[in-house]
Amino acid sequence: MTVQAIRKSDVALAAVTAAAPVLNRELNGIVHLLTCGSVDDGKSTLIGRLLWDASDLYEDQRENVRKSGRKAAGTDLPDFSMLLDGLVAEQEQGITIDIAWKYFDTGTRRFVIIDSPGHEQYTRNMASGASHADVAILLVDARAGVKKQTKRHAAILDLVGVKRVVLAVNKMDLVGYSEDVFRKIDADFRTLCWKFGFWDATTIPVSAVFGDNVARKSENMPWYTGAHLLEHLEKAPSRGTASGGAFRFPVQTVLRDGADFRGLAGTVSSGSVKVGDTVSDVLSGRSAKVVRIATMDGDLPSATSGRAVALQLDIDIDVSRGAVLATPDMRPVAAQTVEARLVWLSETPFDARAGYLLRTVTDLVPIATLEIKALLDLETMSSRPSTHCNVNDIAVAKISLGRPAAIDVFTDIGETGTLMIVDAVTGASIAGGVATAVNARGETLGEGHFILTREMLGNGLCRDLSLSSTDREEFMRRANEAAILLRAAGVSVAIEPPPMVDDGMDPGL
Amino acid sequence: MNAAPSHLDLLEAESIHIFREAAAQFRKPVLMYSIGKDSTVLLHLARKAFYPQKLPFPLLHIDTTWKFRDMIAFRDKTVKDFGLDLIVHKNEDGLKQGINPIDYSPSIYTDILKTQGLKQALDKYGFDAAFGGARRDEEASRAKERVFSFRAAGHRWDPRKQRPEMWRLMNGRLGTGETVRVFPMSNWTEKDVWRYILREKLDVVPLYLAKDRPTIERNGQLLMQDDERLQPKPGETVKMRKIRFRTLGCYPLTAAVESHATDLESVVAETLNAQTSERVGRLIDHDQAGAMERKKQEGYF
Repeated sequence: MTVQAIRKSDVALAAVTAAAPVLNRELNGIVHLLTCGSVDDGKSTLIGRLLWDASDLYEDQRENVRKSGRKAAGTDLPDFSMLLDGLVAEQEQGITIDIAWKYFDTGTRRFVIIDSPGHEQYTRNMASGASHADVAILLVDARAGVKKQTKRHAAILDLVGVKRVVLAVNKMDLVGYSEDVFRKIDADFRTLCWKFGFWDATTIPVSAVFGDNVARKSENMPWYTGAHLLEHLEKAPSRGTASGGAFRFPVQTVLRDGADFRGLAGTVSSGSVKVGDTVSDVLSGRSAKVVRIATMDGDLPSATSGRAVALQLDIDIDVSRGAVLATPDMRPVAAQTVEARLVWLSETPFDARAGYLLRTVTDLVPIATLEIKALLDLETMSSRPSTHCNVNDIAVAKISLGRPAAIDVFTDIGETGTLMIVDAVTGASIAGGVATAVNARGETLGEGHFILTREMLGNGLCRDLSLSSTDREEFMRRANEAAILLRAAGVSVAIEPPPMVDDGMDPGL
Repeated sequence: MNAAPSHLDLLEAESIHIFREAAAQFRKPVLMYSIGKDSTVLLHLARKAFYPQKLPFPLLHIDTTWKFRDMIAFRDKTVKDFGLDLIVHKNEDGLKQGINPIDYSPSIYTDILKTQGLKQALDKYGFDAAFGGARRDEEASRAKERVFSFRAAGHRWDPRKQRPEMWRLMNGRLGTGETVRVFPMSNWTEKDVWRYILREKLDVVPLYLAKDRPTIERNGQLLMQDDERLQPKPGETVKMRKIRFRTLGCYPLTAAVESHATDLESVVAETLNAQTSERVGRLIDHDQAGAMERKKQEGYF
């Protein structure tokens, strides 16, 4: 059941089905969907059904499905999973473990399906797919409910920063559309999600084969009053609509016109900037005023997150690629040491003697030392000390940099807290990760920094909030703001990551 | 009023970001310019990425000598209008051997005049990165393609050696002998390309617009007779038909569709209402099952 109140205006907007395309019409944003689950859970059928019922498929694609005569198991209905042939099918056969991308439009939206394998040996693929997602659909079989795998998937989603998850309880037809079965799974899922930093966690009962609650409301489940899957997805905010948060502008390159124009080119990664704003570079410590926001389509008065622009400053502060422009009172840290959670992507295990580089959004910095501290067990969320790390492991690591780089704590600002470990010799992408703590001094981290725990926040600042998802969003917002204020006061601070030791809220799975 | 960016705004910004990353990270990039609608959008995005600076890399056109005459005229006008650097490369060995798309199978023709030609040019000029207009929605084997697609020495594409891409982090650090293909339009669809051309009022090759043109019907496909090199076989006739092209490649490997869409608006309307996906018109892909996967491994886009 959805835990997010449906606003009336949203319901009106959510009128679905593939409308006839309108000339020159632009869609209301893009939502990237990660689908996790295995073939057994009916993942291909669910996506296929969504495409069939709600998307702008070409007629030849529809005709192929009709003509094939392939039926969904045990029914007389077309096998919609065919629409995913070449994508999901070969992944599940183990031919490839890659992420596949598929695009479709509904009446109002562009959706991008990022399909990644869900098995444990593909943790790295799921993590890299999830890093591009705005919403994740976790699929479970109503007969099996929330499994260990669901827990592991939720942990990966949280790690890479996915804020919205949907649990699609599939095959409701096989449990007699039972409300009791659904309520139990819904309760388990909510308990599970509370451990994580999700802003919205919604459970929807569906039957992918019959189309119940996929792109139309189910008549078999009158007890379910929430939104169906597509309706829910169409309400999810598009990428690029969140312009709140502290301003960040990672500089990609410097543009010159041969005369007096010197523009810092980049994409606003958080917040917004307007002409006249003072921005500062934490690495040089220098500030300047934005005098012009240039694009080929003309100058802009302001630019919000997601816009690619060129900023001209009033004085030349000698900023170049790798710098992150920010508002002077809320800057990233010129980090010397970084504590991070890493997903080990490479088949080559961690080697303390290997040469590694750290890639941030636009910087590439030599790593002085990389230490693996512990490995996380995603199913229990417990950690065990380790100095080794292999492919698909989730590691807690400490990185000491050869020179400072502008880095944020991932849970505060997002993009400027993302990291990639690169092999200095081969250039290969070794591990992807997020900064959980950053320190400007080259000394030991961990003892020195202050952790805002969930409990601490829940007892005071967030005492008035419940476990509902709207309140959870407010909880995270307050936590972020508190962290930003503390950091501005010079306190090295982190918001509690998912607990390393089980917090006793385990639903007993 | 909703000030949120539209999907085209977001796609444009993403492409600009990719162009800037690649230009900053690679030593000597080049833009693969094939004159068609995707190249038109690709070039426009590149100009936006570096405005007001001149493009920091040249364009490369692999000329098979079998492009439509209108395409070559459009290419030269574009280069002149925008003040671009253009490199035209032909596989002279292949042309001397007499390789052509009429007497040879599409796979042999494409391999020698396009794939080998491209490799020759990349090696000759020492480019370490080549921008292409490929999209993930074009074909199933491209659905898994990366934005930075690495090629081992000899331009071989190894699907297992591709790098995971996470968030907006773009790792372009090359190993010895490696080069990279960069696809800034990875996340665009065919419909986006047309909508964007209309929105940005971009000029396209006139062959995209319907006009009476001399055609030959062969194997159920309409071929346009662009010059005397394509002649009707016994039983075939040359007939004037009102046609246009949904996709432009090498003449005569690209089939036309009958259409009355004589302006861009009508073309876009037709495309948005299309009943078939675009590659139906590209004969090269029907040549052999799995053709694209194989061509890619050999270095074709």
